[in-house]
Amino acid sequence: MTTKLFGQKIQRVEDQRFLRGDGRYVDDIGVGQDVLHAAVLRSPHAHARIVDIDVSGVLDLEGVHLVWTHDDLTGPMADPLPLLIPHPALTHGRTQFALARDEVNHVGEAIAFVVADDRYVAEDAVASIRVEYDLLPPVVGIDAAREASRLVHDDVPGNLAARLEQENGDARAAIAASPHTLSLDLTVERSASMPLEGRGTVARWDPDVGRMTVWTSTQTSTGVRAAVAAKLGLDLGQVDVVTPDVGGGFGVKINHPWPEELLVPLAARTVGRIVKFTEDRREHFISSAHERGQVHHVEVGYDDDGRVLGLDVTFWHDNGAYIPYGLIVPIITSTQLLGPYKPGAYRVVFESLYTNTVMVTPYRGAGRPQGCYVMERTLDAIADALGQDRTDVRAANFIQPDEFPFDQGLIFQDGRELEYDSGDYPASLAKLKDLIGWDEFPRFREEMAAEGRRVGIGLACYVEGTGVGPYEGAHVHVETSGKVKVATGLTTQGQGHATVFAQIAADVLGCRFEDVEVVTGDTRRMPYAVGTFASRAAVMSGSAVHLAATRAREKALRIAADALEASPDDLEIVEGVVSVRGTDTSIDLGTVAVLSNPLRYAFDEASKAATQFSVGDPGKPPVAEDDEPGLEGRDFYSPERSTFASGMHAVIVETDPDTAEITILKYAVVHDCGPLINPMIVEGQIQGGVAQGVAGALLERMAYDESGQLLNASFMDFLMPYVTEVPARIDIDHLETPSPLNPLGIKGAGEAGVIPSAAVFASAISDAEGFPITAMPISPSDLFDLRERRKETR
Amino acid sequence: MRITGHHAVPFPVEKVWDALLDPAVLVRTIPGCERLESTGEHTYAMTVSAGVAAVRGTYDGTCSLSDLVPHESLVMRLQGAGAPGTIDATVRVSFSQVDAALTTVAYDADATVGGMVGGVGQRMLASVSKRTAGEFFDNVSGAIGGAGTAPVAAATEAAVGRVFTAPPRPPSSQQDFLRGIAVGAGLVLLGVLLGSRFGRRR
Repeated sequence: MTTKLFGQKIQRVEDQRFLRGDGRYVDDIGVGQDVLHAAVLRSPHAHARIVDIDVSGVLDLEGVHLVWTHDDLTGPMADPLPLLIPHPALTHGRTQFALARDEVNHVGEAIAFVVADDRYVAEDAVASIRVEYDLLPPVVGIDAAREASRLVHDDVPGNLAARLEQENGDARAAIAASPHTLSLDLTVERSASMPLEGRGTVARWDPDVGRMTVWTSTQTSTGVRAAVAAKLGLDLGQVDVVTPDVGGGFGVKINHPWPEELLVPLAARTVGRIVKFTEDRREHFISSAHERGQVHHVEVGYDDDGRVLGLDVTFWHDNGAYIPYGLIVPIITSTQLLGPYKPGAYRVVFESLYTNTVMVTPYRGAGRPQGCYVMERTLDAIADALGQDRTDVRAANFIQPDEFPFDQGLIFQDGRELEYDSGDYPASLAKLKDLIGWDEFPRFREEMAAEGRRVGIGLACYVEGTGVGPYEGAHVHVETSGKVKVATGLTTQGQGHATVFAQIAADVLGCRFEDVEVVTGDTRRMPYAVGTFASRAAVMSGSAVHLAATRAREKALRIAADALEASPDDLEIVEGVVSVRGTDTSIDLGTVAVLSNPLRYAFDEASKAATQFSVGDPGKPPVAEDDEPGLEGRDFYSPERSTFASGMHAVIVETDPDTAEITILKYAVVHDCGPLINPMIVEGQIQGGVAQGVAGALLERMAYDESGQLLNASFMDFLMPYVTEVPARIDIDHLETPSPLNPLGIKGAGEAGVIPSAAVFASAISDAEGFPITAMPISPSDLFDLRERRKETR
Repeated sequence: MRITGHHAVPFPVEKVWDALLDPAVLVRTIPGCERLESTGEHTYAMTVSAGVAAVRGTYDGTCSLSDLVPHESLVMRLQGAGAPGTIDATVRVSFSQVDAALTTVAYDADATVGGMVGGVGQRMLASVSKRTAGEFFDNVSGAIGGAGTAPVAAATEAAVGRVFTAPPRPPSSQQDFLRGIAVGAGLVLLGVLLGSRFGRRR
């Protein structure tokens, strides 16, 4: 294949639209049409039985079209929402109803659904519903869940959804036999994806053709389509799901179906009008999903060089009130915790616990930030105990470049072996040390100390399993105009798919980049797809686009060879023109497309060339038995297992001796996601990831009180970083270790920037302060309190 | 959340106790109280209009009193709900006579504030409720002093079903109230509660 566009810093084609305000999001659908609006009554209590819901009078309000409670739902709609990812260890999986039946388990749980002329009327109608609750004691936080003196679900003893143990070797025996041991307790608080566009769904039922169209802000169109069809009793072929522009997903929108994704289509069919639901910010805080909250206990045994001989980790995962997304997050923590290291033996046990808080589904990083934090804190503790340099302890534990593929002896989140395909961790570390100035830091620290300033340096290394299966597909269609339409089923939330998939298709086909148009997340264009998560889009759909474009190219060459009376081997395609190499005999791709589709009827000048008196061998059928009309290619990519990207971050922070303010002085990233399709987009992903990581490490947390009320459910109190909180400059260096698992050698990059943040800041702040940080995130107030407490205990 | 505070009322404890247990007084002195109805022994239903920051609305609630120790203490349990949120609170109130002309009323509330007001207005709740409580006690002092109010004494026949409604407020006080709300005001209920807990005379 030519690599003309692959690897180039091509500007994102979608940005013209976004920057000019021409983005088209779910809430833009149906504007100017006769659309009805939905609003949802949500529980104000964390845990309560519903004694009675009084909706009398609601329908009397002018402009109200419909009000539903669970009593109004029938058939599959009255059942609990799907448990999307079952697992043998998930012995007590519980999911919510589309509308609460007899109990609410978190503040924000949907109870009643109203459709009205506009959102104002709908909210007024919601406000007029009276619910009588019988309050139950709530379970808030991992300690309360473990104590289990109160239960979230009466039929789930110990609040325990699942317990899963994996072991490679005999970790406890290895620790017992180790010359040195350590124990650590490490916690991470809750945060959330917090896309600026919340959830939203619009639906239109066309009774004339019996067809449902759903526009929804999701990370999986095909998943929503299947759920809507199943819940509404429609055939799959009656449901189209279209994902327009999405204003951020970051994981939360992979969960589906949300109650509103079912209720809105059902209402559209019931009232025969277009119905829209747009989540507001407070609803997003209390009725979408959170992540990250875990408590970990580590036992580790190591030798004099800091080499880990045995590692035994137990952790408790707060999965919130329901667990529709299964055990994906804790499984990822438990496996990806290992990072680039090879402990002599490893055992990990987790318990996934119910609490009366918003449920947990993956948030960018998806359990990896916690795992990375636990492993890196452990290695820092070992270095500290041995008095060794932290980078030396890492180096002593790295998997070496000649050890790939490296089997970690565990089962990963996709049910496949945790087998790393490629990487070069020692080279990454060398680059990182250069980039951050690791060896020069002691002198810098002295200079700063002379000015009365306190600084610290930290690093953190991670490995990220990306491009999980089962598959993605692509369809490439060369139109008679020579334009190329590429469709892939997974969705886009800002990753620049319209640019990178066009790069791949144009390279393979030899057409012009500007002639390629990419459509994602539209089940009418590609009905077989999985979704956008786990840094998989470039790997999965990128590979599928490559394969599908290759098929289209092969067909184009075959037809062109026939038309030009040449051998396909002598042809080349450049700028959309097929020519015999070294001659001026050529044919446009568009004309090849015309010839690919034998016609009876001409519709323009060009198509005359394909009509029945112009082409074809009278002795053969116009379309050969093993062929089909049209210049198209369709193919699917389904890898054996995930491909493993890796990276390392380092940061230098300054902590104010008086106010405990934490300032970032320098931030460096070394990143290896294999060959880069578009370095500008990869760097953008890293920049964004680091920004989100800084937020998670230093700013964002979910402040629940003991009664299960989320106290900071607004952007006044939940701290998103401004540009002033994000490092103005991030030094980035790349390593390109190709993956043997896909035709392009690529690995995922979407989550990388956020994974090591908690670990790297904990490391640097510990270094500055001289005592270990064991709870993240950390605010200046937290740090100040830690200092005060240490003074008291001295 | 826990909210504690105390206020000095420049009257003897007997007068303060009586005033605070008189629904006719309370309905006029509780900021935002529109309606107070006796629904049984020691229980009241009430309607209060209040706001915390931008979260405003009308709450319907109930209040029940227990552990009444005349002139010393009582416990009030409050529940309220409205479009902006819910409150569920237990308030311990104690009275102490400083001297013949001064009584201190202390309150210790354990409140669960839910719904929008809990998530959006939480950080203002404590200060808003204290402010509202202050406004309430000022109103009570005014009422005892007879500043244009109905007789404070004898509402002994606070019979079930009796409804007390607030008279139209003079513009100035309305303005104060609105200003209070605007600052972040209304404790929704605490003030209310504070007030309503006194809503029964014994």
